[in-house]
Amino acid sequence: MAGAPDWRGPGPAAGERRPHVACQAFPERLAQGKPQQGFLPSFSSNNQSCQLMLLKTLQTNPYVKLLLDAMKHSGCAVNRERHFACEDCSGNVSGGFDASVSQIVLCQNNIRSQAHMNRVVTHELIHAFDHCRAHVDWFTNVRHLACSETCVRDRAILSILAVRNISKEVAEKAVDDVFESCFNDHEPFGRIPHNKTYAKYAYRDFQNRDRYYSNI
Amino acid sequence: MAEGAGWQPPRPCEAYRAEWKLCRSAGHFLHHYYVHGERPACEQWRRDLDSCREWEERRSAKAQRSLCESEHRRVQAARKHTLVWTPRQSPPADWHLPLPQEEEDK
Repeated sequence: MAGAPDWRGPGPAAGERRPHVACQAFPERLAQGKPQQGFLPSFSSNNQSCQLMLLKTLQTNPYVKLLLDAMKHSGCAVNRERHFACEDCSGNVSGGFDASVSQIVLCQNNIRSQAHMNRVVTHELIHAFDHCRAHVDWFTNVRHLACSETCVRDRAILSILAVRNISKEVAEKAVDDVFESCFNDHEPFGRIPHNKTYAKYAYRDFQNRDRYYSNI
Repeated sequence: MAEGAGWQPPRPCEAYRAEWKLCRSAGHFLHHYYVHGERPACEQWRRDLDSCREWEERRSAKAQRSLCESEHRRVQAARKHTLVWTPRQSPPADWHLPLPQEEEDK
């Protein structure tokens, strides 16, 4: 999920820019400064669990390691404290990419397992990677949003409908318009990484890219 | 084609072997058929593996040409679809800047 993050808490309708997203979503943060550890016990343990799972994902998951390297190579080195935030979110959302501040939000109240964290971080890093390498108009161009969500047609449509107040027909048309191009854009993996073996091979190819391009 | 004194195969020969084995695996057949509706074509990886080994053993110019052409075709195939969005020349300006909230706190 990407774009204007109304799932980060109550606020303006989808599509509007919000300069201070975190403050509007968490009024107690605005009043007290940074959240007090231990003041809200479930917040604290959810937050801690989220941070620990995130750290493990960043250190061990092959999809994520490739994405982090590719982003560093593109000039967008990822800093855990700056580019990730563990927060409570409304609804069933697992996470999102807040393009207005270039930050990935992880929904600590909805991510319950390491495997889930791995999938969410991979998914949101792909949005971040697209944001880093291209001029993606997250807020007003539904085709751009469709492109970043494209993997399986029906799921792309559902992802768009979750963050944009548009009709199903408009979402379907956007996905169909861009599907051929975006489905075949496998960057940075160079292939569809069906499982960790493919991701490891993709990472090997990425690390080998200098030798590759200088010898073809 | 980058030919010169320092040329070497674009990938280590072991990488061609690994790709060929992966391509011929049952799991890959199922993934490929599900996505594309046809069986995968793996013979080129085998030809590239043979060319790589031939170059390693005998420095065959024919093997070098064959490998280069094969990899060129792969790169062309990957690039044939035009992107929906415009690539950036440099990363987003705000990527490394502090969050707006942190600026306020200062």
